[in-house]
Amino acid sequence: MWHITKRELYDNLNSLRFALTTVLLLALMVTNAVRYIREHPKRVQKYRDAVAESMNRLTAHADASLYTLAQQGPGTLYKQPSPLHFCAEGGETFLPDRVDSSYYTERFWRLRYPDVNINMMNVGPDVSQVDWTFIIGYILSLVALIFTFDAISGEREHGTLRLMLANSIPRRTVLIGKFLGALISTTIPFMLAVLVNLLILSTASAVHLNIQAWGRLGIIFCIALLYTCLFLALGLLVSARVQQSAVSLLILLLTWVTFVVFMPSTLASLASGFSSSMSRDEYDERYGQSDAELRRTWQRSWYWADKSELDERTLTKIGEWHTKTAVREERLNAGYVTFKINQVQRARAITSISPAVLLQHLLESFAGTGLDRHQQFIENVQRYAREYREFVVDMDRSDPESLHIMGVREGMSQKPINPEAVPKFEDTRNLSKDFNTAATELLLLTLFVVVLLAGAYLAFVRVEI
Amino acid sequence: MFLTLIRRELLDNLMAFRFAAAVVIMLLLVVANTVVLIKDYEGRLTDYNTAVKTHRQELRLESKTYSDGMLSFWGKIIVDRPPNPLSIFNTGLDKRLGNEIQVSHIFTPTIWDANKHAADNSYFNIFTSIDIVLIFQGILSLLALTFAYDAIAGEYERGTLRLVLSHPVRRGSILFAKYIGAMVCLLVPLLMSLLLMLILLTTFATVSLSTDDFLRIGGIVLTSLIYLSLFYLIGMLISAITRRTSTALILSMFVWGFLVLVYPNMILTAVDTAPQVDPEPAAYHQIKRVWDELERKRDQFLRNDAVPGEGWGFDLVDVEGIDSIFSGWEDKPSRLLYYTYVGSEFETIHEKSEPYVPHAQNFYGFIGPLTVNTVERTWLIRKPALETIYVQPANRGRMLLKFSPAGLYNATTEAWAGTDLNGIQDFFIAAQRYRQAIVNYFYDEKIFASRQWFSSDQGAVDWDTLPQFSFQRSDIGVNAKRALPDLFLLLTMNILLFMAIFLVFINSEV
Repeated sequence: MWHITKRELYDNLNSLRFALTTVLLLALMVTNAVRYIREHPKRVQKYRDAVAESMNRLTAHADASLYTLAQQGPGTLYKQPSPLHFCAEGGETFLPDRVDSSYYTERFWRLRYPDVNINMMNVGPDVSQVDWTFIIGYILSLVALIFTFDAISGEREHGTLRLMLANSIPRRTVLIGKFLGALISTTIPFMLAVLVNLLILSTASAVHLNIQAWGRLGIIFCIALLYTCLFLALGLLVSARVQQSAVSLLILLLTWVTFVVFMPSTLASLASGFSSSMSRDEYDERYGQSDAELRRTWQRSWYWADKSELDERTLTKIGEWHTKTAVREERLNAGYVTFKINQVQRARAITSISPAVLLQHLLESFAGTGLDRHQQFIENVQRYAREYREFVVDMDRSDPESLHIMGVREGMSQKPINPEAVPKFEDTRNLSKDFNTAATELLLLTLFVVVLLAGAYLAFVRVEI
Repeated sequence: MFLTLIRRELLDNLMAFRFAAAVVIMLLLVVANTVVLIKDYEGRLTDYNTAVKTHRQELRLESKTYSDGMLSFWGKIIVDRPPNPLSIFNTGLDKRLGNEIQVSHIFTPTIWDANKHAADNSYFNIFTSIDIVLIFQGILSLLALTFAYDAIAGEYERGTLRLVLSHPVRRGSILFAKYIGAMVCLLVPLLMSLLLMLILLTTFATVSLSTDDFLRIGGIVLTSLIYLSLFYLIGMLISAITRRTSTALILSMFVWGFLVLVYPNMILTAVDTAPQVDPEPAAYHQIKRVWDELERKRDQFLRNDAVPGEGWGFDLVDVEGIDSIFSGWEDKPSRLLYYTYVGSEFETIHEKSEPYVPHAQNFYGFIGPLTVNTVERTWLIRKPALETIYVQPANRGRMLLKFSPAGLYNATTEAWAGTDLNGIQDFFIAAQRYRQAIVNYFYDEKIFASRQWFSSDQGAVDWDTLPQFSFQRSDIGVNAKRALPDLFLLLTMNILLFMAIFLVFINSEV
């Protein structure tokens, strides 16, 4: 078997396709690295400035009083940019990078989820960034097909297949040998390109990749190999079934174009047409309804009254009103954003028929970008919001002078709080959690590979020479 | 002899597996995507119609005075951009850019001031969009190359070329015969899929195509044809140079991957073409200074008028004694937008305020034309500045894309469909013209100085007397003018390639 692998390897290494692949992959990876070095420091700086500003405001609130802290909330919370942005861009420009916590005079803070329309200002042509997802998803898969389309049909055309099978080697050994040979010869240029890419990145002083990032990069590399295997198996399968190599390549290319290039966007548009979306107007209507309902149930005779003259019972009522409205509105906001994200998730699930989409999702999960990451960010924010509210209640309870009525200035502690004690928002990511979200897709991809490999084996066993 | 050669080529190609595969895949992809795209277009059309209706109703229900209709913060006179039915062919910028814009005398409407109908789920933007031209761009080029790679190399290998050349036939006519034979075969899947598409388009009643639209589609088909021929010639050149089918095939695939897939994305990743927005641009300060001048003039006017003080309320109150004056400003450095305004809106006017009414009329009669004048002056600064920030980088990107035939094809079809930047600009130019028409109407009818400008106590404004907005997409001649330079480039590439093939083939030994 090693003999066959070695022969395949020598064949491929000297071929035109090997040279072209190396040049193409190198050019793409260098572009990718250069772009990343230029963009990433800016992105990180922007994030740091924004967070620092948010922090200053929070400190000022804490210095004022617990009531200010409780009423005005934690300010704007930002999504931390991923250091592995160069692996998967993940449509980050189309996703919001923050969650606001807004308040009005008297009213309490609640989380609001902004929309983005960044692209409306840009009148330039549509582009998809050259990230690893693009390089692996499109180019590496195409290369894999080009390396295998004539693996069996070519030998048959030359008559060498007959020669090889005349020896006492089982057919599966031949197939595995060919598979390994093709795998190694596609991996060599890819590995080279990846090395150059990482080398450029590590020389840049502004980019720091920690141990965890390197671990994630390792996983991404393995996924890339698995994805390549899928296309190698497909190439072998078609090559075994078809008599002529040219026909084999044609079939492979058309399959590739359909599944990799067109299927994702067609299915996404199709899926987005299925479910009717809740429009902004509808949301506003719902918001108005719930607001009106609250107003009906609460006779707010105290609304214009001087709060310091009210008795404790009325104050409690006011406090309840404030908490209720905030909770209700926040729930509505969260429901709206979850609805929208779920709708997109359903469309994404449908597009998973395409292996390129599977790869994209996997890379996004491990690079920490894209929709899954955004969902994680929103969960983090919501958890933090709970923590923050509990902190306020606890602090209020520990002040003996306070009436412990949440939501009213007169009923709450007026003491300043040590800014250090206020919980800070941390946008954490967790590798095991990413693994969990990616598990299904990883399994699906593996399944694809296994099925195609089995298919290739069966096809090759039945080949008549 | 020439005809025999063509017949032979035709038969060769028609009987081949690749022909059947080409037809099937083209039909499948085009039909599936046409249905999806038509549905998408219908959705956008519904959004547009709803938006037009609500904007009309809101204006008529909520705005009783000119002041309120023209000035209030959530501008009331809004014109909407209809979706382009040809965006099914090439989406271009049609879907991405804003599709509703406020028209008011206090600023010049541009693409960058537009908003989007608040209808859909913005998270769907993470999916890449698809259109018919994208399919043609990918599949047609691929098919052309698979038809071409063995055109000459295959004959060398089989030795049939020697046989053919032993007849008294010129080498040029062999090339021509091959070219014509293959192009006729490649036309079949293209035309069949287009035919099916047109059938689908005409069955959906919502998509209404005018005669001009059919001519534009004709332009797109013509461009597709030239694009197809270009890739066939590229394949033929490779075939003539390499002389071996296996090498030619692999080289063709790499060339395809590079031209169609890699180059467009790589060049725009390497060269940054995003708008370079300066947070505090110089032009913005200039604009602000012009507006400061307006405010100075306003204050001066108010100081010198008969009413004491510098206020612009003129002690106007309604029956309940409440004054309904408002003022505001817009301050958007990123799009160089700055303006300030003052206005008022009364449903009734108290008797004791009546003596002040002529003063107020006098003031608004002064400030209205002054504002219009200021807007014109700032527009002279704003227009070139916006060009530098947004349009120039975008055009640089477009120019770079044109080095690949795929980019050139995309740009040309975009120009035919009218979904390119020029096509979208047409709408905003129409909006600017509409604004001018309203301002002229105001001048003619002396509306700035009228009582209805700030009070509806003697009857609300009849908005129907205002000039109506209408937008016609530019006619086919303009589209053709925009598309022809790129089309010509494509054609030139074709001719150059053919000459190159001819030279290589003439000089080659059999």
